[in-house]
Amino acid sequence: MQAFAAKYKRRLLIFLMVFGPGVIAAVADNDAAGVATYSLIASKFGYAMLFILLIVTVLLAVTQEMGARLAVVTGKGLADLIREHYGVKISAMIFLMLFIANMGSIIANFAGLTAAISLFGLPKAPFLLLAVLFMTIFVYKGSYRTNQNIFLGSAFFYIAYIAAAFLAKPQWETAVYNLVLPVGITFSREFIFSAIALLGTTITPWGQFFIQSFIVDKKLTTDKLKYEQAEVYFGAFLTDLLSFFMIVAIAGTLFIHSIPINGAAEAALAITPFAGQFASLLFSFGLINAGFMGAVVISLTTAYAFSEFFGHQGSLDSPISKSRSFYLLFLIQIIIACLVVLSPHISLFRIVLYTQGLNGVLLPVIIFFLLRFANSKNLMGSYTNNRFYNYFATISCVVITLASIFVIMGGILGKI
Amino acid sequence: MIYFSEIKNKRVYTEDGLLIGTLDDAVFTLTETPQIVKIVVKPLKQISQEALYIPHQYLLRMSPTVAVSKNYETTILAENELFVFKNLVDKQIIDMSGQKVVRVNDVVIQQKNGNFFFIGGVDIGLVGILRRFGADKIIEKVSAFFGKGLTSTIIPWSNIQPLELTRGKVVLNIKQEKLQKLHPADLADYLEATNVRNIVKIIDLLDKEFAAKVIAELNLNYQISLLKKLAFEKTVKILSLIDPDEAVDILTQFSSKRREGVLKSLPRDRRSEIEHLLKLEDTVVGQYLTTEVLTVKSSDTAAKVIEVIRKETRDMSFLPYVYVVNGQNQLHGVLSLHDLLLQTVETPIYKFMIQNVIVIHLHTSLYSVFRKLIKYKLAALPVVDVNKKIIGMITMDDIGENFLSKI
Repeated sequence: MQAFAAKYKRRLLIFLMVFGPGVIAAVADNDAAGVATYSLIASKFGYAMLFILLIVTVLLAVTQEMGARLAVVTGKGLADLIREHYGVKISAMIFLMLFIANMGSIIANFAGLTAAISLFGLPKAPFLLLAVLFMTIFVYKGSYRTNQNIFLGSAFFYIAYIAAAFLAKPQWETAVYNLVLPVGITFSREFIFSAIALLGTTITPWGQFFIQSFIVDKKLTTDKLKYEQAEVYFGAFLTDLLSFFMIVAIAGTLFIHSIPINGAAEAALAITPFAGQFASLLFSFGLINAGFMGAVVISLTTAYAFSEFFGHQGSLDSPISKSRSFYLLFLIQIIIACLVVLSPHISLFRIVLYTQGLNGVLLPVIIFFLLRFANSKNLMGSYTNNRFYNYFATISCVVITLASIFVIMGGILGKI
Repeated sequence: MIYFSEIKNKRVYTEDGLLIGTLDDAVFTLTETPQIVKIVVKPLKQISQEALYIPHQYLLRMSPTVAVSKNYETTILAENELFVFKNLVDKQIIDMSGQKVVRVNDVVIQQKNGNFFFIGGVDIGLVGILRRFGADKIIEKVSAFFGKGLTSTIIPWSNIQPLELTRGKVVLNIKQEKLQKLHPADLADYLEATNVRNIVKIIDLLDKEFAAKVIAELNLNYQISLLKKLAFEKTVKILSLIDPDEAVDILTQFSSKRREGVLKSLPRDRRSEIEHLLKLEDTVVGQYLTTEVLTVKSSDTAAKVIEVIRKETRDMSFLPYVYVVNGQNQLHGVLSLHDLLLQTVETPIYKFMIQNVIVIHLHTSLYSVFRKLIKYKLAALPVVDVNKKIIGMITMDDIGENFLSKI
């Protein structure tokens, strides 16, 4: 019995050691843009979107697991693999697209941050600069471990949304009913686009790059693979559990009383009459937290991808003098985002729209690479996708690709 | 010199114009001076699916087109051989301490001793990436227009550990901070310097008489740097064995102290012979020297050089060669007008200049100058000082006149 306990204790310790990248990569998908999307969708369709959330969770788990497995087995980031197998031309083009798309996402996160700061009645310029300063200090001064722990702390603060959901007193039975059964689904164009937006905010090109680079930077070995896979699945579950509470909180208040909103900050304000001042405060705080985490994680992703594509040293554990381009690129992105958000003449709505389109173009390409690499015997040896898993992964990828094509077509036809 | 990306996917023809396929890759040996020993040709689809490995003996040229002789045969991959594209291009370079440095953007191939091709180094610069897009020329032009020269950055092969390549890694034998990054035009100089180190190693192992023969065959620059590195006794031994003429050439390049020291240690009859020759070396070359030479920079394009010739050489009586110098006026290469006319207009000079220049010094005897002109079938020889700076040139007709008057 004691031996049994000791065995589990050891396993738990390893799990805690491995714990981090999977949860961070997944929870970061609920960035400020994600929170905005959930708020909008929930205020429009209420609990009906919860069934889609269930599907998205599975897709997220599958794609992130492949990325994690690639990272642990090959020790290389997604960008490393693309450069080594598809050459410099494709690498440079993908990097350019990723850079622009990520820039858009970082701007969206800064916009969320700004909106939340204004909700607290604080002046936005000094507080945004303060945020930039904090981000820079964390990344420049902190090691991998410090950053991981800060991200995990940030992920923990998402608990604010769970509290807000309980304060909103939603119809829990309806919520759970809608989660497991597709009762509320309609096939209107609006519903389909909203469902795709939900997918697009959760499964992102940067998310795929990030999880792989972040695990590589943690230097996990293949004997930890099982634990890492478990962590990734847990991360996907946790992320969408948080999304569930967000949707439920909005559905139980704004949807029931059919109050239209345009953004996350507006939602935070609008729930006050129904859920109380405290819930609104929690929502605003959640948005600041989400914007902060999203901005840092996404600009780190670009920095990681650049170092991998072009072979420079890029690690949170290496000093600035050795990873100059990595740190510089991180800083440039958050400074640009901060300036864009502070400048009054730029349409944030447009930026977000184009970013979604670009991510839609990029995602199927990234998923294609992911499947190719995860099935390559040369790279993965005995760790390739097994047959059943491969069917499942392929179907998931087809669904994601179809959704992306829908977004692009919608963009072209101007119907978003 | 050729960049691998410039010949990748080029069509491969036989000498009589028959298309075989496209160049897919090249195979090199894992040695200190990696030689290209095979080219890998992807045959035309309707003929075969299997790649053809053609040994370098059948390779006629790599640039500007790839051609093999018509009776070519194919072979298979041997041990200790790697692919240029598959094993080098796009791979991560890490330094001794495991730091990532950069990725390989391109591979530099140098043609030497006739039709032998060697890997000179790897291109790690931005120009290397642009070249893969086929955009290097445009960007180079734009950057030149803004007065900022953009050129390749190259890591010489001697900085790469060959053994690690077999494990699929490109590892440097030094730390990143100490890495020498070279401009393509300097690459040849660097290689010569590293080769001297190799030659010293070999010479130390060789029988002295054989070593003397080897050294006598080398370029003067080589001889000097070599003998400066060898031990004193060995230098004396070799100088007593080689042609006195060559010995004088070398001795005039030594400091007077070392020269005296060597002379004292030489056998008596050899010593008097050399001392006699040394007396003749009274800047005789100076009388025949013409300072009317055309020098250009290695980064200039063929078109630019042609334009310079048109504008600035109207008053020159004779223009056999164009000499290539660096910023310090040191001689780096030479090209004949024929070489120049064969190139496309935008090709930079360093890509086709001859880097192993035969030079003479102010102290070189007239006899030795004449012999060099005949031996290498040249119309003129550049005269350089101890720092390799070009002073002028001696032409065949001036020297010929001198010898004619003596007959």
